[in-house]
Amino acid sequence: MLNRTEFISTLRSGLKGLPENEIMDILYDYEEHFEIGLSKGKSEEEIARELGDPRNISKAYRVSSTISEAENNPSAKNLLKAILSAMALGIFNVIIVLGPFLLVVGLLFGLYTISLSFIVGGISAFFGTIIAPFFPYSIHIDVHPITAISFGIGLVSLGLLIGIGSFYLTKLLYQGAIKYLRWNIDIITK
Amino acid sequence: MNIQFKKGVLELCVLSLLTKRDFYGYELVEYISKYINISEGTIYPLLRRFRKEGYVTNYLQESQEGPPRKYYKITEEGLAAFQKLQSEWEDFTDGVNKIIRGDFVE
Repeated sequence: MLNRTEFISTLRSGLKGLPENEIMDILYDYEEHFEIGLSKGKSEEEIARELGDPRNISKAYRVSSTISEAENNPSAKNLLKAILSAMALGIFNVIIVLGPFLLVVGLLFGLYTISLSFIVGGISAFFGTIIAPFFPYSIHIDVHPITAISFGIGLVSLGLLIGIGSFYLTKLLYQGAIKYLRWNIDIITK
Repeated sequence: MNIQFKKGVLELCVLSLLTKRDFYGYELVEYISKYINISEGTIYPLLRRFRKEGYVTNYLQESQEGPPRKYYKITEEGLAAFQKLQSEWEDFTDGVNKIIRGDFVE
């Protein structure tokens, strides 16, 4: 059975990684709870038992904190942290949708690669045609220079369009992932 | 009772009490666990989430005995959320009661 010090220190170690002021704020609530419970004649062990397992309590805080963090400071690392903490809470749905989610991430990665190759290819076609006359040993391709230059410009534009589209898709996917996690938390940690 | 079901109900209970007056955490825990068997520690993460969602605000108040207490006060948004949850709950329990208490009709 846990006493007050053990309960608080287990809770504190479970909250590791959250901002220190947030940890202090959370622990304050439990210190207050112990104080009032003691003043009502309960024992530390009794209060700790009624509060429940501090490891489970810290998971509930951790998951909502990591999701807020991923929402306010979008990054792949923060999103990963949020997903992991949701999985630690035993949110089974998250594990099931992780596969399709990674598939979409892979597709997006492919789109970025295509976009980049188009831009690089377009730029090469453009400048290659322009500087070709100054290079005596250039490889000669039987395309009219105007055609080659327009082709280059077209390819760059297409690459940019795909890039911009992928960027918006990435943003959408990110927001969707956050929303999905939040929705799960609302159901489970209520 | 199913644990996840209980957690959903807890949200409704906390908001409901806060529509009556301001409470501090321990009071809420004490009052609710008189009627429902809960893991008392789950109420504080819930209150914190309510605060982040703007459903409640905090203030500290000295007390005659022990430390100052963190009181929770419901906001307009909290009240709206409560009314929505309450009507959902009533629809739900009405439906369940009709099924389990009523006569089965084909």
